[in-house]
Amino acid sequence: MDMYTQAAWLVPLFPLAAFLLLTALGRGFRKAGALIGSAGALAAFVLSLLIVVERLGEGAVDYNNAIDWIAIGDYTLRIGFEVTNLTAMMLVVVTLVSFLVNLYSAGYMKNDERITVFYGYVSLFTFSMLGLVLSDNLLSLYIFWELVGVCSFLLVGFWYTKPKARAAAKKAFIVTRIGDAGLLLGILLLFWYMPDHALDFTTIQSVFDGQSGAITTGITTLIALLIFLGAIGKSGQFPLHVWLPDAMEGPTPISALIHAATMVAAGVFLIARTYDIFQDSAAAMETVAYVGGFTAIFAATVALAQNDIKRILAYSTVSQLGYMMMALGLGSLTGGVFHLFTHAFFKALLFLGAGSVIHAVHTQNIHEMGGLASKMRVTAWTFAVGALALSGIPPFSGFWSKDMILTAAIETNPLLFVVGLAAAFCTALYMARLFFLVFMGKPGSASADAHEAPAVMTAPLVVLAVLAAAAGFVETPWNGWFGSWLSGEAEAAHGSGVAIVASIAVGLLGLYVGWLIYGKGGVSRKAAAERAPWLVKLLENGYYADELYAAVIVKPIRTIGSVLMVVDEYIIGGLVRLAGIATAYAGRTAARLQNGQVQTYGLAAAIGFVVLVAAIVGRRFWP
Amino acid sequence: MSILQDIPILSLILLAPLAGLLVVLLLPKQRSGWMKTAAIVATIVPFLLSLWLYADFDKQQGGAAYDEQLSWAEIPLNKELQNGVSEFVFKFQYALGVDGLSMPLVLLTALVTAMAALAAVHVKKRWKSFFVWFLLLETGMLGVFLARDVFLFFVFFEITLVAMYFLIGIWGYFHRERAANQFLLYNGIGSAIMLLAFVLLVNTAGFRIDQAGEQASFVYSGSYADILRNLADPNAWVNLSPDQLGGVNPFQMTDAMQWTLFIMLLVAFGIKLPVFPFHTWMLKVHTEAPPSVVMIHSGVLLKMGAYGLLRFGVLLFPEQVREWAAVLAALGVVNILYGALLAFRQQEFKLVLAYSSISHMGIVLLGLAAFNEIGLQGALFQLVSHGLISALLFLIVGSLFERTGTTELAKLGGLARSMPFMSGVLLTAGLASLGLPGLSGFVAEFLAFLGLFESMRWLTALGVVGIVLTAAYVLRAVLKITFGAQREKYGALRDARLVEAVPMIVLLAFILLLGCYPSVLTDTMQTSIGGLFEQLLATRAGG
Repeated sequence: MDMYTQAAWLVPLFPLAAFLLLTALGRGFRKAGALIGSAGALAAFVLSLLIVVERLGEGAVDYNNAIDWIAIGDYTLRIGFEVTNLTAMMLVVVTLVSFLVNLYSAGYMKNDERITVFYGYVSLFTFSMLGLVLSDNLLSLYIFWELVGVCSFLLVGFWYTKPKARAAAKKAFIVTRIGDAGLLLGILLLFWYMPDHALDFTTIQSVFDGQSGAITTGITTLIALLIFLGAIGKSGQFPLHVWLPDAMEGPTPISALIHAATMVAAGVFLIARTYDIFQDSAAAMETVAYVGGFTAIFAATVALAQNDIKRILAYSTVSQLGYMMMALGLGSLTGGVFHLFTHAFFKALLFLGAGSVIHAVHTQNIHEMGGLASKMRVTAWTFAVGALALSGIPPFSGFWSKDMILTAAIETNPLLFVVGLAAAFCTALYMARLFFLVFMGKPGSASADAHEAPAVMTAPLVVLAVLAAAAGFVETPWNGWFGSWLSGEAEAAHGSGVAIVASIAVGLLGLYVGWLIYGKGGVSRKAAAERAPWLVKLLENGYYADELYAAVIVKPIRTIGSVLMVVDEYIIGGLVRLAGIATAYAGRTAARLQNGQVQTYGLAAAIGFVVLVAAIVGRRFWP
Repeated sequence: MSILQDIPILSLILLAPLAGLLVVLLLPKQRSGWMKTAAIVATIVPFLLSLWLYADFDKQQGGAAYDEQLSWAEIPLNKELQNGVSEFVFKFQYALGVDGLSMPLVLLTALVTAMAALAAVHVKKRWKSFFVWFLLLETGMLGVFLARDVFLFFVFFEITLVAMYFLIGIWGYFHRERAANQFLLYNGIGSAIMLLAFVLLVNTAGFRIDQAGEQASFVYSGSYADILRNLADPNAWVNLSPDQLGGVNPFQMTDAMQWTLFIMLLVAFGIKLPVFPFHTWMLKVHTEAPPSVVMIHSGVLLKMGAYGLLRFGVLLFPEQVREWAAVLAALGVVNILYGALLAFRQQEFKLVLAYSSISHMGIVLLGLAAFNEIGLQGALFQLVSHGLISALLFLIVGSLFERTGTTELAKLGGLARSMPFMSGVLLTAGLASLGLPGLSGFVAEFLAFLGLFESMRWLTALGVVGIVLTAAYVLRAVLKITFGAQREKYGALRDARLVEAVPMIVLLAFILLLGCYPSVLTDTMQTSIGGLFEQLLATRAGG
């Protein structure tokens, strides 16, 4: 009966096959790229859909299967897959967005001479991401975790001749690696503390049940925080968020797939997967909540002042991921995962819409756009749906998930509730600003020749727009279907009137203020820049986080390296030269002995003999 | 029973390069093509043989079946000393053997050398003497891993030194002669210390009595098996005090002497590994030696240091290793971080790789210091993995230099455009080097860290910082070369030719295989390491 579930390991193999095929074919087969890539993703999507449908009914059981990867003495490291409702949901999200992005790229990347390579990378990414989702233990999750990172790196640096792309790719890899190092330590810690060194999620769940007490709270907190460090890196949480805005140097479909819908959500997924560890440690939960809340408001304010359409959306992603983290930290697993689910659709939609715009106007500066709505109707309408969903306006999907998070906050942590509302206000404001500047008003300098994108690009927009509008109805305050399906337990209704009203109010207020400034023009756009130029500068530069890193980390490391270079050359290298000089000196001295006088040789032989005898005799009296 | 046990397979592997050497010697001087072919064949034969042996080895669950032993020379000692002594001799013997520790390294040596022989197409002069030294070097390396007698080990060790000396000094770059001299001097010091340690070892633990009825034969020899048995057996004469033996015990090895020997071995092999602060000699070798020789140097020769440390340090003196575990781990962490920080600042790609080797050898030290099965597996895995990866990187360096005439980072850039294949391989090799899962480097690092974490958490955490730094310096260098705007003068560069592409693909395939399916290596190593630990634990319990 679990036929499809048991075949879940096949899902990642379709994109893997596509990747291998594309790599083998080489870049000569330009046409084949889109076809093979999309086919791989589509096959994966169909199977994923079948798995979810199969599991919709009551009582779907988790299924896992693993093989030994390395067996060393009593220790065995295993690699395997596991299907739960959470992973099944993720499978569908990943494969669907991947398929749509594959389709979209056929138009967007059409004229790129390395399009086959592009599709190869995308397929490799899809494979890795699906592997990550399906992993049944932390080690194999970590393996795929690194692989998605490297695919992200390859795709951010896809246009490798651009120095900025090179720098961004490098930065993305290194900054996330800091988080990965934490996750690795967390895994090491877990390995030595878990009974039987088990790393699989099922065992983790049973060990961290809050009562067994097999592992002390201190260690639990440490493990949780180290895992969270990994999530901070991958999901662009403060203070490791700096790589995500720069990652926008990659092709826009990649930003939609990797840096909005799937990979960056892996941090949230990781915490959801190891949630039992977190629940065992109040300190860890609090840390997650506050880091998430801070990131949400921090990034939302930065997004207000950005001028690059993709950077606005990137900061928005950081902010929304912060929301998800906050939900998890507040104890609302469903809220975090639900927001991940809806966000994947509307943020992918917004990025693909932005791509369609960039494709048409060849600039990313929103001040050079304007009045595009009349020229690009499908893009404008679908973008509007995405913007409303993100701003949390009912009945679009973002409203339901955001409301669920705010409800969780109002019940447990009023401070974070206020933070969440403030972030929601900023979100609505920057989306209104973005929308009005790009699509409304007078045509900008770059809008003249703009025209709608081809159908292969607009069709994915429409599909995503439908999902962004409707996906929220799986979980509403009066119908907790999604939550109970996810957790396997019936959940009580969780509506909070205050939260609903407040969240709608701030969303509408944000949109209204945005309209006043950027739509109607009732308030001067330059007002803020005139009154508090330092504030605008601060926000434009993202609170100078990059500069701070350069001064506090990069520079000192360079300096240490330079100092060590001198040490290596003169002090340690001096040792070698000293050895050389000493040998040469010894050689000269010995050469002086070879003066042809038999007496000298005799003397040397005699001394040698005495030393030898002394050594042999003395050997017996060795202490 | 397999056919391999009936033939002297180890000797065949060891002597195949020598046979090739003879052929090369007999060929006329002008026939460089023939010589290259002969040399390549002479390296591929031992590779195929060791591959066969490797496959057979797994089925046998250990390598004792292949042991070979011949008496080479006997020096009679004074036999009037005792009654009933039929013979009192010093035996030099030709003893070969493989176990789970050496088997992977034999295969690695044969593989890397075969690939380096292919890469030697770039050699421009005096082919005959080049290939003579080259093949002699291979026999030396194989001998080091196969020898089961400390003197035989020493002889092979020295052969590699001499061969390397000429390979660097004649075929190297501008400062080749200085580099060769420095290499010989510094390694010579290491060898001297090693020889002294071996002599002391043989004089105490290298003693065996073969009882045959009334008559006994007393034998001193460098037999590794004897030395190991004597040291491990608490009732052997080596481990008894004079009082327990009636007042006189010339064979006793006191604690102080054990420590002295251990430290001597640590220094001798530490120079080769290299352990900070004994590393500077190898920087010059990396920059001045011809790339095909550096492939071997970085891929195999450095591993001889680690192997020696493992074989003679850890196995013979486990108590000392255990007590000094923190010291070894600290040295490992210093190696990792020091190498990484310096690699980050280098402007010359070869120096980046040289410092990267120092950093990666730190992982080996961590694995040894862990002193458990996982850690040892990690250390050994790292030897093989780093051997493959650094060989691949220097293979690319050779091909790169052929085309651009430089390996300075500031002068390179944008090569991905004209050389997509080689750039792709370089990038993959770089990713392997920084420990990307799916490639061999990750498994090694993970096992070493995992092993060490059991006893030394803070040092492990410091070591893990290294993975971030490694990412930084590897990507900095590799992206500098491949990414970025293409430089005018490199516009017409040709991508890899077939003869260059084949070794790249082969090495990459092994790196990928070990990364995806590490059991192919760990299971083999397990046959020895598992038993080893039982033995060490039993000894500790008994003594």
